[in-house]
Amino acid sequence: MPYLTLLIALPFIGAAVVALLPRSRPETVFPVALGVSVAPLAVSIYLLAEYQIDESLFQFFEYFVISERFGVAWELAVDGISLFMILLTTLLFPIAIAASRSVSDRLKTYMVLMLILEGAVLGVFLALDLIVFFAFFEIVLIPMYLLISMWGSDRRAYAALKFVLFTAVGSAFLLVGIIVLGVMAGDTVGTLSSFDWRVMLGTDISDTAQLWLFIAFGLAFAIKVPLFPFHTWLPDAHTEAPTAGSVILAGVLLKMGTYGLLRFNLTLFPDASVDLAPILAVLGVIGIIYGAAAAIVQPDIKRLVAYSSVSHMGFIVLGTFALTSQALQGSVFQMISHGLTTGALFLLIGMIYDRTHTRAIADYGGLAKVMPVYAGIFLFSAFASAGLPALSGFVGEFTILVGSYLTLPVLSIIAGAGVILAAVYLLWAYERVFTGPVNPKVEGLRDLGFREIAIMVPLVVLIIGLGIYPKPAMDRIQPAVESILDRIEATTDYEVPDFGRFDDIGHDAESGHQEGGEG
Amino acid sequence: MQSAAWLPVAFEVTLLGGALAVLLVAVVAERNRSLWGPVAGLAFAVAAVMGLWQWVEVESGGAGLFFSSDGLAFTRSPMVVMDSFSALAAMILGSVGFVAFLASWDLQVKLGKRAAEFSALLLLAVAGLHMMAATPNLVVIFIGLETASIAFYVIAGFTRKVRGSDESALKYFLLGSLASSLFLYGVALTFAATGSLTIYGGNSIRDFFSSQVVTEPGILLAGLALMLVGLMFKVSAAPFHQWAPDVYQGAPSAAVGMMAAGVKVAGFAALARIFLGGMISQIDSWAPVVAVIAAISMVLGTVMALVQDDIKRMLAYSGVAHAGYLLTTIVAGVPGLEAMWFYLATYAFMIVGAFAVVSVVGGPGAAATPIASFKNLASRSPETAWLMAIIMLGMSGMPFFAGFVGKVLAFVTVGEAGYLWLVVIGTLTTVVGLVFYLRVVATMFAKDDDVQEPLVVSVNTRFAVIIAAVVTFVFGVVPWPLLDVVRSALPL
Repeated sequence: MPYLTLLIALPFIGAAVVALLPRSRPETVFPVALGVSVAPLAVSIYLLAEYQIDESLFQFFEYFVISERFGVAWELAVDGISLFMILLTTLLFPIAIAASRSVSDRLKTYMVLMLILEGAVLGVFLALDLIVFFAFFEIVLIPMYLLISMWGSDRRAYAALKFVLFTAVGSAFLLVGIIVLGVMAGDTVGTLSSFDWRVMLGTDISDTAQLWLFIAFGLAFAIKVPLFPFHTWLPDAHTEAPTAGSVILAGVLLKMGTYGLLRFNLTLFPDASVDLAPILAVLGVIGIIYGAAAAIVQPDIKRLVAYSSVSHMGFIVLGTFALTSQALQGSVFQMISHGLTTGALFLLIGMIYDRTHTRAIADYGGLAKVMPVYAGIFLFSAFASAGLPALSGFVGEFTILVGSYLTLPVLSIIAGAGVILAAVYLLWAYERVFTGPVNPKVEGLRDLGFREIAIMVPLVVLIIGLGIYPKPAMDRIQPAVESILDRIEATTDYEVPDFGRFDDIGHDAESGHQEGGEG
Repeated sequence: MQSAAWLPVAFEVTLLGGALAVLLVAVVAERNRSLWGPVAGLAFAVAAVMGLWQWVEVESGGAGLFFSSDGLAFTRSPMVVMDSFSALAAMILGSVGFVAFLASWDLQVKLGKRAAEFSALLLLAVAGLHMMAATPNLVVIFIGLETASIAFYVIAGFTRKVRGSDESALKYFLLGSLASSLFLYGVALTFAATGSLTIYGGNSIRDFFSSQVVTEPGILLAGLALMLVGLMFKVSAAPFHQWAPDVYQGAPSAAVGMMAAGVKVAGFAALARIFLGGMISQIDSWAPVVAVIAAISMVLGTVMALVQDDIKRMLAYSGVAHAGYLLTTIVAGVPGLEAMWFYLATYAFMIVGAFAVVSVVGGPGAAATPIASFKNLASRSPETAWLMAIIMLGMSGMPFFAGFVGKVLAFVTVGEAGYLWLVVIGTLTTVVGLVFYLRVVATMFAKDDDVQEPLVVSVNTRFAVIIAAVVTFVFGVVPWPLLDVVRSALPL
């Protein structure tokens, strides 16, 4: 049973189903779209259950030749990293769709685009053929562009075009890199070109070529992440997008960048990765501090969360290029956690925006008295985003900081300041919005309804669950990231440092940290 | 082969017969378009089937050269070649011609009894176009080129009462004639340098290069350059493109699609046949020049398309960029042929579909059609808007649409040939190109309460647009059947 093809196909089939709903029955669109978006979640949960930790790294392998001569194939597989990326994707899409109840204008088109977007994102995380990967990576732009430009707020046309241009310029370099690498890989297997990731891994690439290819790939992914100084598209796109668009952008689309760095840059260009790692780590740390500092001064609550994404994604990049097992595990974990916490914050902002139609912090005040349930969930999400212990954000960021301390101690310490700044901007925002005298503009607002609470529950449960017991996730992530590091060790003279003494005294390095953190 | 000695010219014969039949029927049944309309449509369909027949015949019996005559040395050479290359050209031209004919139906309704002449001219043009692809003889290429060009000059000026149509036809005629004469001069100089007018067969240009030392490199290079310039003009590659925006804008919308698509298919087929078939041993002397033309076309076409407010001018400039992408496949040499055919086959449908939509929105005989007139198309005619979106995304080279496959194949082969800088220019201009294609999409889906009345699309046009969009989408998602076909479409 080709589960992975099925997983990618389900949202597209769903989109077709929604598109074919009779125009005379507009009320069917929402429930049907929500229903079909749950199907991929079921498949990915099945994959989680069936994924065997002890067996080979890549499972559910599928292979179908598209062009023999050009070496292009429909090649899909799941490892510990992509497993959680698809889980995150299939979880956030039904939630984002459920949160789109307030969309009244052209709802059918909206849902069709959302489902197409889901299928495309799943393709990104599953493809191991670089042309197929690129195809999904690029096509994601179109539904997102339309979602922002058709349902966004005031400056939507500007934000949508900026989003497309930034990412498309990046993907132009990516395509050049893929083609050059494909032509090189073709020589090793005797075809015109080969875009199979496994063939590319076996291709001998000179140091100079690695450097240029790393830059070509890295530029595309760095823009997507977005890494400082390529982040300027993000605040506009996130702020102008409709709620579900922001959730998906922050929760899933940004992860395509960090996933690409992990999956392709580190494995295909190990020499260049080792050489350039400090530079990228520095950019990551600049992003952490810059994003946090910018978030503090934002007068717009949605823009504040958008800048906080720049900061959080900086942690992931730092963890990726610290090149230690702990930091990499932390990065992958933080990808999941950031998707949940920032997704939650954007959902909450969307809920209040539906009521007040303003995002300016100054328009709020004393909201906790008017909407106590809302305030509680918001405070919880803010804590999770700021990395409060026992919540998922803490596990990710702390593991990254500890792991990167081994190779980049100074950067790790500076990045630690980002955690403090996160508490500053989130709690200060909370204070201004929820405490103090009740602003007349928010008086009499209805608190969260059953549907809105139901949307938040899965996120809250997962944030707590992963925060208290991250082991199931870490167990699957660890072999995947260690195979990346093994490859770097095997092909370069870099040696991955580890916590030898933790093993000596009989503790697993991971659980040691978490116990320390919770204590 | 004995059973079908006429098969090598079956495509041309069918279309010429169709043209005659249309004119005759039109004389008999002067106003009754329902009588001779189907005749013309049928001629296109039968011609496409003839292409398929040729393909099957070549696949089983092999390719061949035909119609040589005794006499002077330079005429004792084959006039027609039937190989998978020409058969594929026939299939593409026949089917695209059929779709374009459907798309021009509204225009024909408007033209009244002059529509018979229009149909006949369209049939003649396509016959001439295929002649360019199906001959090893440089002079016959010229004859095909002129047959098609003269027909298109007339078509461009067919709606003379519409402002711009006159100008379009005159400009096309003057500049087109110059290009044709440059090509002919190039043929003459090539003959002077090599002593041959044919690409294959006895005493051919190919023989010359394999057995002789080039004694007159200056004359040969001048000949190559002039032929190149002549064909570059026809396919509207920069800097020989200046006619295209004005001609496209002034000519009746419903007819521009075939003008753009057909000339590109035939022009590139002839280019590939001459340069990859006959002059492949000289690739080092012409490929760098073609590479530069390709780069200029991609950059100039893309940049100029950005600033256009008229969709026909925008499509004309985007056609310049597409000529550039197609030229990269020529630079790549013989391995690029597969990419070239895939690109041509899909682009031809896309451009015909795009102009069909333009003719729906602006009117079939209209000249200027501002992009702003696409406002609110999504609510005026949702189906047309979605199909146009597919075509636009296909042209922009978005993945899962045919344009992406063509571009990737082109870039891979030209990268393999060592022209990395062309790959970089190609991908970057593709990104910039997104801006103007997405602008059309965004305009269609933008809300505008001023234009509300539903847009009525006739059945024929609708069918044409659907075919174009289906080709764009299906060969983008499932490219391998077409890849299998184009892979074997090699010149003799």
